Amino acid sequence: MAIKSINGCIGCEECIKSCPTDVLRLNPESKKAEILYPEDCQICHLCRMYCPVDAITISPEKTIPVIVSWG
Amino acid sequence: MKKNHYIFKLTAIALAFIGMPILLYFQGDFPKRDVLMDTLSLVTILGFTLLLSQFFSTRLNKNLVKKIRMINVLNIHKFIGYLFISILLLHPFFIIIPKFFDNGVTPSDAFIKIITTFSSTGVILGLIAYTAMLVLLITSFFRFKIHLKYKTWRNLHGYLTLLFVITATWHVINIGRHSNISFSIYYLLMVTSGIYYLLKTYLFKTSKK
Amino acid sequence: MKKKEEKQQMSRRKFITLAGGAAASLAAMSAIGMPLNWTENNPEIDVNSLDVNKISTDVLVIGSGMAGLFAAVKAHDAGANVLMVSKGRLGASGQTPFAKGIFAFDPEKEDITLDEYVDKVSYSALGTNNKTYTRQTAEHSLARVNELKEWGFFDSSLYNKSFSKPIKQRNIPIQERITITHLIKENERVVGAAGFSIDEQKVIFYEAKSVILCTGAGGFKPNGFPICDLTHDGTIMAYNIGAKVTGKEWNDGHPAKSENAAACYDGWGDMFEQKPSTTSVGIRHDLGVDMNYTAYMNGGTAKMGPPGMGRSENTVKGGPFRPEGLEDQGGPGGPPQGDKEGRRPPRKEGKGAPPGMGGSIVGGSTAGMAIHKSEGLVPINDKCESNIPGLYAAGDALGSYMAGAIYTQIGSSLAGSAVQGGVAGEAAAKYSKKIAPNKISASKLKEIQEEILAPLKREAGYSPAWVTQTLQGIMIPNFIIYIKKENLLKAALAYVEELRDHHLPMLKAANMHELRLAHETKNMIISAEMKLKASIMRTESRCSHYRLDYPEIDNENWQAWLNIFKDEGGTMQFEKQPFNTWPTA
Repeated sequence: MAIKSINGCIGCEECIKSCPTDVLRLNPESKKAEILYPEDCQICHLCRMYCPVDAITISPEKTIPVIVSWG
Repeated sequence: MKKNHYIFKLTAIALAFIGMPILLYFQGDFPKRDVLMDTLSLVTILGFTLLLSQFFSTRLNKNLVKKIRMINVLNIHKFIGYLFISILLLHPFFIIIPKFFDNGVTPSDAFIKIITTFSSTGVILGLIAYTAMLVLLITSFFRFKIHLKYKTWRNLHGYLTLLFVITATWHVINIGRHSNISFSIYYLLMVTSGIYYLLKTYLFKTSKK
Repeated sequence: MKKKEEKQQMSRRKFITLAGGAAASLAAMSAIGMPLNWTENNPEIDVNSLDVNKISTDVLVIGSGMAGLFAAVKAHDAGANVLMVSKGRLGASGQTPFAKGIFAFDPEKEDITLDEYVDKVSYSALGTNNKTYTRQTAEHSLARVNELKEWGFFDSSLYNKSFSKPIKQRNIPIQERITITHLIKENERVVGAAGFSIDEQKVIFYEAKSVILCTGAGGFKPNGFPICDLTHDGTIMAYNIGAKVTGKEWNDGHPAKSENAAACYDGWGDMFEQKPSTTSVGIRHDLGVDMNYTAYMNGGTAKMGPPGMGRSENTVKGGPFRPEGLEDQGGPGGPPQGDKEGRRPPRKEGKGAPPGMGGSIVGGSTAGMAIHKSEGLVPINDKCESNIPGLYAAGDALGSYMAGAIYTQIGSSLAGSAVQGGVAGEAAAKYSKKIAPNKISASKLKEIQEEILAPLKREAGYSPAWVTQTLQGIMIPNFIIYIKKENLLKAALAYVEELRDHHLPMLKAANMHELRLAHETKNMIISAEMKLKASIMRTESRCSHYRLDYPEIDNENWQAWLNIFKDEGGTMQFEKQPFNTWPTA
């Protein structure tokens, strides 16, 4: 859903900084961007456009969380 | 019979260094891009695996030398070397090709960003490997102009290769767009057998002759 | 098995007497093997060891879009020390990165004079525009556009690089990925702001002589429009310290494609990949709730045919009034069809409108957002100044009514942000020169720090994601905030007040990401309350506010903007401010 995968990340953090909704974070061990909060992705593609190595794949699909009585 | 044997040998090398990566490439769950970028990716991968195959197309490969004469082995080695080193020298530029077709980050900005991301182990390793590869290329091309004794040259060539192969493989596994577990295992297997092959001759060359 | 259950029942009964019903049901849950941590908050960080930083500056610019850029640059050039903080990244957060058309009024090239332009806007806006701000934007737009040109703004589809140029040249410090949650007022004037850093996990206080809110607009994190990072933060922070805000009854009527409605990039074709360009005079009356009305009357998705939309087959009786001569809804095509939001230049047909795409669209992609610049802080003069001394706002954070309560000029939103940013920057710099440095009192620091970190400290509570989803369910339906009627507005208000009173104080967060969501959710709930109450109050239909039970324009009672403020007792108050007047103290 939404942002799908990152392949060939060089850890420059451009995507992390550019994401308006804080979906991406730098993995402290691998020093690469990882998709941590995909549910908040607004599918605006800024991360992909800022990525210097064209590493990000985004799908237009997004599922909404199930409706529950509290959460 | 003899002829069949070396064809078999060459086929084995081709399978291991061309067939295998192609198989892994299509087996892996990698996001597809356009034909141009996917082709360039595959060419880059093959460039790297065929450079790994160089371990087995040298005079170290006595069996092969016996079968198809040294001059031919050398020609294969040279051909693969020059061609695929050129490809790998270009691969950092392949990466920024999409930037020529959009209005966002300029190709030069993207390139500078790539080679200055020093926080990344993969990038550092890549830069070392790239330099080693460049030196390998130059010292091979001008082998007779740099006036080194053959032994010295071969040692230089061998150790540079070692440096290149280790840093490059690590680089590939670390930040390769098409790096997954299967590819990593494959690379490690190929590299260890190659290095073993090389060291066997370099360090214990007296033991066998 | 049965025996065991009976035993549990026994202990359960005992437990009830000891610990009360709630704990007892927990015990029962545990007996049937249900995990018990559903409402439990498990912080991933140690809240008590978080760092606290304090930074001082003359002018604090909050936000780094188009308005923030010019606010920082012009305040610096007017001699102030400036610090810019951003929830996201310079030129890459809020709506600025997606705005591709900027209005430039070039007197040499235009057929009409500035006065005629202002009159035409007022005619289309049915009097809702603030003529001073309409004129100001047009007057200064060309100068701002030329500066942008110099910085390379028109050379790339991405704005970080061009925005960084003037900021770096001037050495203006900028802090990114900082969520500002509080404005701080002492002795009746603004003395700073507070928030937290997502990356460094610390609370940060900013002592400033003046603050410029360039925090953009907001919505209920709707799907299909890139505003999920905008939750009216500036408006609510300012409201909380007594600032007047306005415009909550208006709506932005952008639709989304029905297929993959959440994919705003795809919905806009390749527009996000385009370089920006300038637009010239072209007065319209666009993207109010016409489409919502059509969909409401015809049922379900409105059928729209590219490249225009809302063509003849969609004609329904009644609906929002359109001034004569401005009937045409056509214009720049591409999905979402008939975008008149005023920020895109005409673009080529093609990739953007694939066959079949012209089919159906869905509404509410900008739910919670009003027409650009019709909502936000009430300016007390033409200097973007609010009723709180030292507090300024620019761009979508300022209820300047530059375009009125309907889109009247393509590209004027981005131009307005640039112009107002500049005006606010200069005014704030001037103000800060005559003010002694402010100190935030220790008690205030402690109190605010507690408020900021509260969701992290909660042992149990509601997740911001769930509360947001619930709020969306209440607010986004067409029959609530778009096609309004009193009974349903009141019904929705009852729900929202429940969220405000019972859920807002119990929002939980386990990390900085969720902490940001918790504060955003809070702001959305208050925004929803404002929107509903203002909508109930405005008993007429005008521009992008449509009441099914009051479908006519009421010029007798409603030639007025509706201001909202918090009174001493903390309750939400409303006042009318006649069109084209400044607020009374």
